[in-house]
Amino acid sequence: KSVMNPKRCAACRYLRRRCPKDCVFSPFFPPNNPEKFACVHRIYGAGNVSKMLQQLPVQTRAEAVESLCFEATCRIEDPVYGCVGMISLLQTQIQKTERLLARTQAEITVSQIKHSQNQHSEFM
Amino acid sequence: VTIQINKTGVVVIKAEMGGPGSSSPCASCKLLRRRCAKDCIFAPYFPPDDPHKFAIVHKVFGASNVSKMLQELPVNQRADAVNSLVFEANARVRDPVYGCVGAISYLQNQVSQLQMQLAVAQAEILCIQMQHEQPLQSHHQVLELDQDEKALLLNNNNINNCNNDNNNLGYAMSSGQFNSNFASPSSIMQMQMQMQDPLKQESLWT
Repeated sequence: KSVMNPKRCAACRYLRRRCPKDCVFSPFFPPNNPEKFACVHRIYGAGNVSKMLQQLPVQTRAEAVESLCFEATCRIEDPVYGCVGMISLLQTQIQKTERLLARTQAEITVSQIKHSQNQHSEFM
Repeated sequence: VTIQINKTGVVVIKAEMGGPGSSSPCASCKLLRRRCAKDCIFAPYFPPDDPHKFAIVHKVFGASNVSKMLQELPVNQRADAVNSLVFEANARVRDPVYGCVGAISYLQNQVSQLQMQLAVAQAEILCIQMQHEQPLQSHHQVLELDQDEKALLLNNNNINNCNNDNNNLGYAMSSGQFNSNFASPSSIMQMQMQMQDPLKQESLWT
């Protein structure tokens, strides 16, 4: 029976439906990885994912699916902040590194000034 | 239901039906065209004066998914959750292919570049000090570092060699630290695992 077709994609298996030849999910949700679709479905819902994919050119859909999966995974792991927590963390890291860089460059300048002062005094 | 007596002494009974005469339904119930109950889960976070906020979250996640997510959270965390969902939804609408992951890639790139610049600067200081054969304590401006800055220094301290010529500094970059593959979620996931300090800044969306 076509419904029990083992070649159904992970999405159609999860949704317990026939997997048509032009299934929008099947290129990106192979049957050997059911978790991937379960994750995305839990956060966005199959309908929303389908809509989003259909609105994208075919060659961009693989990347879109990967980023949706990533964001959904982040949201499941951190239900309050999702991947926005990571953005916040990166911004903090950038600020700290910028401060340390500025201090280090200031120290270079101080060392160079001191060196040139020492050289000058030697010639006096 | 409110009972009032108007100027002419007529008793007026008003039932709160979410109509224009009573307290306005929240933006969610307005969009979903339903009665806004007193315990509406959306109402505290989607006021009627900002219909776009709910519209965009509904477009990306769907009202029932948002409701489910909020129900699973303690009340004091729901405002932050809503704000982060709005942020993600906005990012997804602006960039339908990469969403927030685009921003993460960009920021990761910035971190890598800054760490490279820091490594160069630190190598330069060591070279200067070695060139002039000055003891560290007497001529060296001691940097007061906090815990995070020390960790950053240790991460970046990969000095391979150091020539007398300041223009030709060599330094080693540890593999995986300066990751140039930004589009791959797996590399970002790896970076996520390295971060152990989940600072949450509210200023991100105020």
